[in-house]
Amino acid sequence: MKLLRELFFPLVAVLAAFVLGGIFVWIIGDNPFETYRLLIGSAFSWPDGIGYTLFYATPLIFTGLAVAVAFRCGLLNIGAEGQLYVAAFATAWVGIKFGGTVVDVFGTPVNYSWVTLPAVLLVPLAIVTAIVAGAAWGAIPGVLKARFGSHEVINTIMLNFIAIALVSYFTQYHFKQAGDPILQTVPVGAGVHLPRLGSFIPGLPTRIPLNLAFLFALVACVLVYIFLWRTKWGYAIRATGANPTAAEYGGISTGKQIVLAMAVSGALAGMVAVNEVLGYRYRYYDGFSANYGFTGIAVALLGRNHPVGVLLSALLFGMLIRGGIFVDAFSGKVSKDLVEVLQAIVILFVACEALFRGSFGRFGLLKRSKV
Amino acid sequence: MKFNRPKLPALLLCLAALACSSSCTGAKNEADDPARVRVGIVFDIGGKDDRSFNAAAFEGVKRAERELGVVLRDVEPGNPTSIEPAMRAFAERGYDLVIGVGFAQAPIMEIVAKDYPHINFAIVDGVSQLPNVASLVFKEHQGSYLVGMIAARTTKTGKLGFVGGMDIPLIHRFATGYEEGAKAVNPNISVYRNFVGVTDSAWNNPGKGKELALSQIGKGADVIFTAAGNSGLGAFDAVEQAGKGADGRATHYVIGVDSNQNMVKPGYVLTSMVKRVDNAVYDIVNDVKNKRFQGGVHVFGLDKDGVAFSLDQYNQSLIDPSILQEVEAARQKIIKGEIQVTDAMAK
Repeated sequence: MKLLRELFFPLVAVLAAFVLGGIFVWIIGDNPFETYRLLIGSAFSWPDGIGYTLFYATPLIFTGLAVAVAFRCGLLNIGAEGQLYVAAFATAWVGIKFGGTVVDVFGTPVNYSWVTLPAVLLVPLAIVTAIVAGAAWGAIPGVLKARFGSHEVINTIMLNFIAIALVSYFTQYHFKQAGDPILQTVPVGAGVHLPRLGSFIPGLPTRIPLNLAFLFALVACVLVYIFLWRTKWGYAIRATGANPTAAEYGGISTGKQIVLAMAVSGALAGMVAVNEVLGYRYRYYDGFSANYGFTGIAVALLGRNHPVGVLLSALLFGMLIRGGIFVDAFSGKVSKDLVEVLQAIVILFVACEALFRGSFGRFGLLKRSKV
Repeated sequence: MKFNRPKLPALLLCLAALACSSSCTGAKNEADDPARVRVGIVFDIGGKDDRSFNAAAFEGVKRAERELGVVLRDVEPGNPTSIEPAMRAFAERGYDLVIGVGFAQAPIMEIVAKDYPHINFAIVDGVSQLPNVASLVFKEHQGSYLVGMIAARTTKTGKLGFVGGMDIPLIHRFATGYEEGAKAVNPNISVYRNFVGVTDSAWNNPGKGKELALSQIGKGADVIFTAAGNSGLGAFDAVEQAGKGADGRATHYVIGVDSNQNMVKPGYVLTSMVKRVDNAVYDIVNDVKNKRFQGGVHVFGLDKDGVAFSLDQYNQSLIDPSILQEVEAARQKIIKGEIQVTDAMAK
């Protein structure tokens, strides 16, 4: 019953968004039912639709969890974007320096590596690098907040710019192949490639980039749940988020919790690199993130900062990204901005929840629950 | 602040449901009509209204839609991550031809085209070796040579400017051709070369484009050729800012690129080095329609009017007929191979 109550509001928000979005489609001059059939049909067709929907959902699960963990500590992590950029570059660096011989963009084999590690060592090393790099970048605003009290929203936003500029600089001047017109690093070694799920699931072609990282994302949901609700660290983080003064009074060092929460948050954001670099592009590619870090905020908000909610809302957003491309391409007049309109309305509805609590609360459908 | 207005949201929902149910009359979706040739085009980040490169490609497919009766669907990706899904969307639906606009899409198309060997692909400005990909490339150096000649005949200071977008081999091809054309007229001429940047954003930074053009003007350049996408429009502003002389003619000129940009700032635009992307795209659609599509590299040079300089009512008075004769002679010589223009991309 508690779960139902929690789910009820986001569901209303999503439904309302679709209804309002339908009106927009109708005003633009297309048939809303056709458009939605296109949107949802293309997102759930087998195998391409489902494969891509899950693939697009994967980074959003990670960034959604990242934002949720920070939020449980009372922090708003707007810096997931920068954290995942740093992690992606660090991961690609490991793949380049330890991955062995690769075939470059002109088709000639080149070796950029110091040593060639076997896949059993290389893949875990690359994943750990992603986690550590993301955590380190996330911990910086945590330390600044804990030590100097400077606000994490400002710092994370600013660190996004620094991260993206820094990584582009290294890519352009040190890790790009001379003569390659595209801003990307040289490829990572084949040993560090994560297997695509198509190699295990019959009927799912391997051209669909859905890879092991999706399973990691599911595991991350479980781990985050255990961390937040079944460990003393999680308890301390939640206590700090709920009431820092009371937590301090109760013997919790809130400064430490803030740094820990930001580091965990950054580590989760960093896992996006595993999906993008090790599972999909096999190199660092400038502009690879379609604002995953920022969409993660919406995912966490809709998912009520709970791993289950984050998973569900990431799937919804993944579906919208997938379907949006088809709406853009095949509908008569509607562009893929419809998807952004839908996302925006969902967020708007979730954000003005209080308005709804008034009307539905009267019938006992919604009670104010803990954030 | 406390909201307590129970009726408003409920009312909204009812209204929405009502409006939705009354709108069920829609035209049949032609996007999937298998009886007609279906073409999907994926634009570059600049979008189809950039008045330059993408606009030319859009012009071509629109003409094909009108004249050949093909079904046309387009996607403007907006960010680099949606280029591949957009191409795949068309391929998944079994479209007959998927066109990618811009060199940045070449490696992506390479991956997608491998997965769909029975579908035809075409890439503008990029090269792929796959049998089902037609690579539409242009001899920009030849067109640039001609506008370089015009610039050298027009300049009073003996100094020319070149503002490139991203510092890549393709843009060096424009610059080298331009310089050679100018030096063929007057070996003592000097050409200042500047590039807006080294990342994708270099195509979309008119402010920096204007700064570079102004600094070249400061150094004495009075004709500036741009090959910088949207950033090039900054150079147009720069020459306009430099103003007009006592005779009512502009003191500094700009040369446009890709599309005919003469009308962007009439009087200040000496000419435009046009790349007939529209013709190339139209031809490839026509080939698919007539079932004679061929993969491989399709080169468009001066001979097929793939590149040219534009002459219309906006710039007729700016170029002397004697210059035009001289340039036309050079054009014939290039076509015959008597003049070899250096291709900066050739290895």
